[in-house]
Amino acid sequence: MFQIKNLTKIYDDGTVALRDVSFEVADGEFLVIIGLSGSGKSTLLRCINRLIDPTGGQIIWDGVDISAAEPAQLRQIRRQIGMIFQHFNLVKRSNVLTNVLSGRLGYVNPWSSLLHRFPAEDREMAMAALKRVGIADQAHKRVDELSGGQQQRVGIARALMQQPRMILADEPVASLDPVLAHSILEHLERLNQEEKITVLCSLHYLDLVQRYATRVIGLRDGQIVYRGSREEIRAMTDREFKDIYGEEAVRVSVVPQGREE
Amino acid sequence: MATRTTKRELQPSLVSPPVAGIASLFIPGLGQALARQVQRGLTLFGSLLTLVGLFAWQVSLLATREQGIDAKFVKALDRRPAFVIPILALIVILWLWIAWDAYRQAQPGQRGGLSVFALVLALFFILGWKISEINLYKLATELSDAKGPLSRVLWPWEAAVTRDVETTVAGADILSPCDDLPPPSPPVETPGEPYVVADPTCGDLSQQVEEGGVLKTVPGTLLTVVGRGFEPNTETQIWWSDPIGNKFQMRQEGRYLAIMTDDEGAFQIEIHMPYRLIPPSSEGRQVHRVEARQVSSVGDLKFSDALKHNVEKMVETIVLGMMATLFGIIFSVPVSFLAARNLMSGSPLTMALYYITRTLLNIVRSIEPLIWAILAGVIVGLGPFAGVIALTVHSIAALGKLYSESIESIDPGPIEAIQATGATRLQTIMYAVVPQMIPPFVSFSIYRWDINVRMSTVIGLVGGGGIGFLLTQYIRLLDYRSAGIAVWFIAITVATLDYVSAEIRQRFV
Ligand SMILES: Nc1ncnc2c1ncn2[C@@H]1O[C@H](COP(=O)(O)OP(=O)(O)O)[C@@H](O)[C@H]1O
Ligand SMILES: [Mg+2]
Repeated sequence: MFQIKNLTKIYDDGTVALRDVSFEVADGEFLVIIGLSGSGKSTLLRCINRLIDPTGGQIIWDGVDISAAEPAQLRQIRRQIGMIFQHFNLVKRSNVLTNVLSGRLGYVNPWSSLLHRFPAEDREMAMAALKRVGIADQAHKRVDELSGGQQQRVGIARALMQQPRMILADEPVASLDPVLAHSILEHLERLNQEEKITVLCSLHYLDLVQRYATRVIGLRDGQIVYRGSREEIRAMTDREFKDIYGEEAVRVSVVPQGREE
Repeated sequence: MATRTTKRELQPSLVSPPVAGIASLFIPGLGQALARQVQRGLTLFGSLLTLVGLFAWQVSLLATREQGIDAKFVKALDRRPAFVIPILALIVILWLWIAWDAYRQAQPGQRGGLSVFALVLALFFILGWKISEINLYKLATELSDAKGPLSRVLWPWEAAVTRDVETTVAGADILSPCDDLPPPSPPVETPGEPYVVADPTCGDLSQQVEEGGVLKTVPGTLLTVVGRGFEPNTETQIWWSDPIGNKFQMRQEGRYLAIMTDDEGAFQIEIHMPYRLIPPSSEGRQVHRVEARQVSSVGDLKFSDALKHNVEKMVETIVLGMMATLFGIIFSVPVSFLAARNLMSGSPLTMALYYITRTLLNIVRSIEPLIWAILAGVIVGLGPFAGVIALTVHSIAALGKLYSESIESIDPGPIEAIQATGATRLQTIMYAVVPQMIPPFVSFSIYRWDINVRMSTVIGLVGGGGIGFLLTQYIRLLDYRSAGIAVWFIAITVATLDYVSAEIRQRFV
């Protein structure tokens, strides 16, 4: 059980990015956060693992207050939360395997890891993770030789190495071709369904939201303006859509896959 | 751009064309300004002022001793009419042209026109030619005189090897002037040994007499010099040794006197006794000596001292450059942290430190290494250490800036991603920061190493040690071959380095 209570974030320059945000996420849920760019989606996700320190409010996960965690405890918590980024955030000049292994940093001996030494079982685990996302054959390539879709799979594999109980995905498919978007989200969906990993994911395209979300919250100017279940999002009206995205917004859709429903 | 031009064309001139022309006649450029072309007016005014200033300076250089403008001008006109008159004429033409330009600019719909600027440029070019003392005639006529030294610099390798030499000498005494006592008797001949005999064995030296203001040489007594027992078919030099011990190789019509021995190792040559000034203090009978010398190389070829010194100094040069690079890297890494905005933006104090560091780096970098070498030489004396200091100082500033810029431009994405895995701060640096820093770090360091070794070859010119120091010395001694070896070494080193550093950089980046 994951709870966010009255979360507020005010940046140093005075920008109020989150305003009194509260919601709950049940274990095993695929929660999608929607909203215009600038509405606070990234800020929200980064507050959860404290890449950004919230200004006020609480983040409680299974009774532990993440927002109050001490550095050592925070690292313990972070390693259970995988994170996937819009721009992948991989070390481009390192090879795929090194990037994947870096997902293990929260678990291994900090000193031997500085010399890039990892236990053999971690290496096996990394290969297994790469196999799972279908790019085991790329393990020894440099990341910058891979395509965008392949890079995001490396990102997923890195998150898998954390053996996470929760995955935060900040617009994981926004810089990918629509066709690749489905394949990445299907990977996340499989993790969500097979391993019961809670997923918190921000997405842009409404039809992706309708296809993958089990629950949706909508942000606008740092406030929650929409909450809906899977069924509700599929039946979303234009009015609700415009409440979230503004009056000028038009629905755009991803290239139809021809294999859904 | 386009909109600005059309806007200008819409604005009419403030005055009529004749007024603008007359205004520019009094104050060049004023007319253009009144025609709403302030920039054009200012440019023309500034150009004309500069040209007149440069011209006045050149005129005063031609007449440094004269007092007063008029006197200077007259003197300059007298000395270089071909320079003064045309320039003066062109300046006057330019002045009038500017007035005419103002007239034209003030006409409605008449804008632009670059011909007046062409004249300005032409004048600058002519004055610049004079100021920088360009002299193609000198280049053409004196190039042939420099052929000897230049060819020695370009192909110096004869000086790279030597052999030990052995000199075979034999001589005969000559008395000058002849007196009543018997002249020196010819030396005793030992068969197989070199032997020289002269006939007669006394005579008069050449004399220099003044005749109607002209110095004339009266040739001395003609001697027949015969030699035997020398190395056959070998060049033999004729030397003269006077009673006070000076020896010199004899000349005839400006050339050194030398003769080939025949198959038996004998020769015969006729020489006039040379002109010698014998100090009045040396009294008594003056016995000179005529000598025949054969210089022959013996032993194997070996490397010359010049080559050895050049190799030594080249090694010193490369080491000097590398030491400076090493020190530069060591010191510039911490400095670069202070000069990286993203690391220092935390508090006003760190920001102040950032600005101070940046400013210092910029100042130090704008002073050339050669100047640093002169300054360092004042402190630690001439030599490689001064060069190391100079190049280190400059490297710290240059690398500090480059490194700090690459720190500023690292991608923060990987850092947050690694942090999100629960990594410690040190792990984050190792996995997210260091990999991003390596390519620019290696690339800039190699680049700097390249520059430093290059610089170290010339830093010796100002006393900073290394091969440049040797090069200046050889040139001052007119030893162009040894200097040529230095030049070759520098060229080879720099070219090799160019190649190597390009290769290394390609591997890493
Ligand atoms: N580091 C920051 N400093 C100041 N303002 C920020 C910073 N990051 C984001 N913001 C502002 O906070 C608001 C929310 O941004 P963000 O969370 O990135 O939105 P989203 O991810 O939905 O596009 C925006 O107005 C943005 O300009
Ligand atoms: Mg965002």
